[in-house]
Amino acid sequence: MKGRFEQGVEAMRAQMDARVVSYLSSCVHCGICAEACLFFTETGDPRYTPIHKTEPMRKLWNQEYTFWGKLTSKLGLNKPLTEQDFEDWEMLVYDGCSMCGRCSMVCPLGVDIAYIIRKVKEGLSAAGYSPPDLVEAGERARTIGSPMGVTAKTLAATIRAQEKETGLDIPLDKEGAEYLCLFSSGEIAGFPEFMGALARIFKAAGISWTISSQYFEATNTGVQLGNSELAAELVERIVAVAEKLKVKTVISPECGHAYTTIRWDAPNFIGRPLPFKVVHIMELLDQLRLDGRLKTEGMTDDRLSFHDPCNISRRGGVLKQPRQLLNMVAPNFVEMKEHGDMNWCCGGGGGVSSNERANELRLQVFSAKKRQLDEIKVDALVTSCSNCRHMLEDGLEENEMEIELIGITELIADHLAEETPDRGQ
Amino acid sequence: MITAFVDGPLWYFALVVFLIGVAWRLFAIFRSGSKADFSVPRRSGAVSAFMTSLRRFVPRHEMSPRIRLQVVAGYMFHLGLFALLVFAAPHVLFLQKHLLGFGWTPMPYWAFILASQIAFAGLLILWLHRLLNPVTRLISDADDYVAAGLTFFVMLTGCLALMEDFTGLRVLHRFTVELLMIYFPFSRLMHAFTFIPSRAYTGAWFGRRGVDA
Amino acid sequence: MNNNKPGRIIRCPVALYSVLMALFALMLALPFAPQAMAGDSESAAKVVNPGTELWREVRQREAPRAGATQVAGMDSGVLINIRGEQWRQFRMEQLIPAAGALMGGVLGLIVLFHLLKRGVRLEHGRCGNYLLRFKEIDRILHWYVATVFIFLALTGLILLTGRVVLIPVFGHEVFSVIASASKEGHNLFGPLFLVGLIGLLIRFVSKNLPAKGDLSWFLKAGGFVGGKHPSAGFFNAGEKMWFWLVILIGLTISATGLILEFPFFGQDRPIMELSLVLHGVGAVLLIAGVFGHVYVGTAGMEASLDSMTTGYVDVNWARQHHDQWAEACEAEGAVIAGAELAKKQRLRGTKNRVPDRPVAEEGR
Repeated sequence: MKGRFEQGVEAMRAQMDARVVSYLSSCVHCGICAEACLFFTETGDPRYTPIHKTEPMRKLWNQEYTFWGKLTSKLGLNKPLTEQDFEDWEMLVYDGCSMCGRCSMVCPLGVDIAYIIRKVKEGLSAAGYSPPDLVEAGERARTIGSPMGVTAKTLAATIRAQEKETGLDIPLDKEGAEYLCLFSSGEIAGFPEFMGALARIFKAAGISWTISSQYFEATNTGVQLGNSELAAELVERIVAVAEKLKVKTVISPECGHAYTTIRWDAPNFIGRPLPFKVVHIMELLDQLRLDGRLKTEGMTDDRLSFHDPCNISRRGGVLKQPRQLLNMVAPNFVEMKEHGDMNWCCGGGGGVSSNERANELRLQVFSAKKRQLDEIKVDALVTSCSNCRHMLEDGLEENEMEIELIGITELIADHLAEETPDRGQ
Repeated sequence: MITAFVDGPLWYFALVVFLIGVAWRLFAIFRSGSKADFSVPRRSGAVSAFMTSLRRFVPRHEMSPRIRLQVVAGYMFHLGLFALLVFAAPHVLFLQKHLLGFGWTPMPYWAFILASQIAFAGLLILWLHRLLNPVTRLISDADDYVAAGLTFFVMLTGCLALMEDFTGLRVLHRFTVELLMIYFPFSRLMHAFTFIPSRAYTGAWFGRRGVDA
Repeated sequence: MNNNKPGRIIRCPVALYSVLMALFALMLALPFAPQAMAGDSESAAKVVNPGTELWREVRQREAPRAGATQVAGMDSGVLINIRGEQWRQFRMEQLIPAAGALMGGVLGLIVLFHLLKRGVRLEHGRCGNYLLRFKEIDRILHWYVATVFIFLALTGLILLTGRVVLIPVFGHEVFSVIASASKEGHNLFGPLFLVGLIGLLIRFVSKNLPAKGDLSWFLKAGGFVGGKHPSAGFFNAGEKMWFWLVILIGLTISATGLILEFPFFGQDRPIMELSLVLHGVGAVLLIAGVFGHVYVGTAGMEASLDSMTTGYVDVNWARQHHDQWAEACEAEGAVIAGAELAKKQRLRGTKNRVPDRPVAEEGR
């Protein structure tokens, strides 16, 4: 027992807003949400039923906000919320839920279950019941500025390598640039080509952009943990460097929850509107396409499909842009049966892939994605989230599937028209 | 004496508990408050709230055939119940006499019976599904079973009194109705009203993000 | 329209009694006949009732004829229909006692069987591995039909035997309420049974077609003759017989029920009587059969009920009672380990509502 039970309850209590109360009042336990959740459908384990994962919140609401609950609690007739519940629900909430929100799309009563789970995490993390890997990642994010421990030095080295690779300048700390680009540590560490691709596209399109050496991290472990305090602290760092560099727009890179955080949740974490606009890199690329500033040549013969990252498409609203972009370079594009806002989660979001304890489970539930891919038989799969990419790579490898994984920005960059290396600007 | 009690004081008590209880539960939702959203929306939340309230009546085709039973049986029960509550001749007369002061054309007797049969079948299938499906068996609690059982008894006593010739049967039906009215605001049956703010909030949230939920 | 069989008048006790009484009266009157014919004023005046002819016509004893009437309907031109009395006597003196005897007898036999044999046990106990026998839709369908049947059986028995069994207990007034309620309930739920029955037919007919081995299963009475359990597929011959009984009798009950409930298509009295007889007899047969069915599914055969509750059966149970099916499943690799299944079902013995923690996590 962690001894912070009361703090956990207080944190959850503070989350009880009108939305949560309307949701908890409306759920009729029909079980339809389970049929939308890959953690249930691929394991058959009813404990992963989405609304079941919110049980600690429901118990608190029941015993403190409802007539019947208050009465039966006083009479000792119902089971109250205890620290054991926190302990029991930790694995369900953190390992068995990527907060993909597919459940929220299908509930006939309109319950946004992913919203409630985010709030349950506030209670669990305040009480000390979060996966140790995530807690450590959060500490690294707070102290080093990156959950994976990517330092400013590593960033600088990556920039130098990409400059050499592309023959282009990658501006660092350029005050007055129009765009500030954030990165996820996963991209820096795993897919640094993304940075090079950006450089090439922005050069071709004439975009003025920069990266901040002081703070570059797009991901927010506070959101994954369910710790609003940490989440707000990390957001403030982005706001600080954006204000310092006087940029107009911040670009959210190929990372799922980073987009929902900076685009939709960040202003509410810090309690004020952001002093800049926010776009996902796909939104920017599509805008450039519309403006005629993004020209491509050549097409890929590959039969390919697009994996919609849940936080960017379903929870973020960036649905049309990837299709428009792929239209330019991929004539053999085919949609998975469930795509767009009803896409199946890769299984690694919401902090699941950062949690080693959940490895076996997330690989098991990859069977949903495998089923989708087996149906359409593609050569390649394009996506716009580096975490999805890691997860998909792990899943494809585990299942010995020969499908190439491509980041959409790199795909576009590989088909840029008239690319000429130009040293110095 | 029982008849006088059920037709009189208990009826008024049940009506008061129902009306005040429902109002209080709805008030409790809005009392909990919502924080302002400082993000820049893609489109109006209000319009999306309304659209989602309607859209959720139709399940997403990607969910087929997984949830076919719940959807079909669910609609059988709800539509059948709605039809017989609002359009069955004895109910139209009751509403006219005791509540509204006006009535409307009821449906023919055979339609009344058909609607009841569909409602019964739907409710029975849903109740069995709740018991036999591992998901619903895990997440269901006493409230779910009591609500379904009470609703079934209301419908059953109504069916038993169809001949409309025996005071005892009519009073039994009315009594179970009054029990249901008293139980209603304290239970999950409130979803009949709370589904509106629930769908609306979600619709607004998604709508601001440009997603048709 | 009426077609009274000539023999029935003789067999009908009331008629026979009346005839006998008439003869006896005649016999008594015979000594006085000469005096009556002589017009002796001392004997009672034998005045012929002027209404005799009329009443003979009204009773329609010899040749039933429908009169003319403005009331539209079958038999509405028949003023006094003696079939009503015949039916009442049949119902009270033959149908109801027979029904009671059949149901009581079967129940008694089952109790006796259980006291003697104590049900069929699992030879090798449970092994803890499972096979999926009935999917969710099949179980929902089965329990739907079962629930509706029980309701119809109860209300139907009240309607059939209430006069004999319930009036002495509750009195006439209370019984009239019970009867009215039962009639309305019975009539409304009847069609629901038919719908479920058709569902059962569609889902299970392919598994109930006659197959090789069924006859020998029958001859061995499922293993009670000879001691060795005969081989069987998904359903054994006994189960197939029960399926077809339920379907055929059930459809008969449904069809006659519809005939009875919707008498707008020219059904006359004989058709309605026949329908009632088939309906009642069929229902009582099914009820008796259900007693046996419930027994076999619960106390009569260990570990059988699982198949209709969770849908999963222990492999040992499958091997013992449906060896061909068990073999086919095992060849397909369809066996599920108990530990695996416990995650998906709240089987007996499972307790925790949350997944197991990895061992390394302990002591955190």
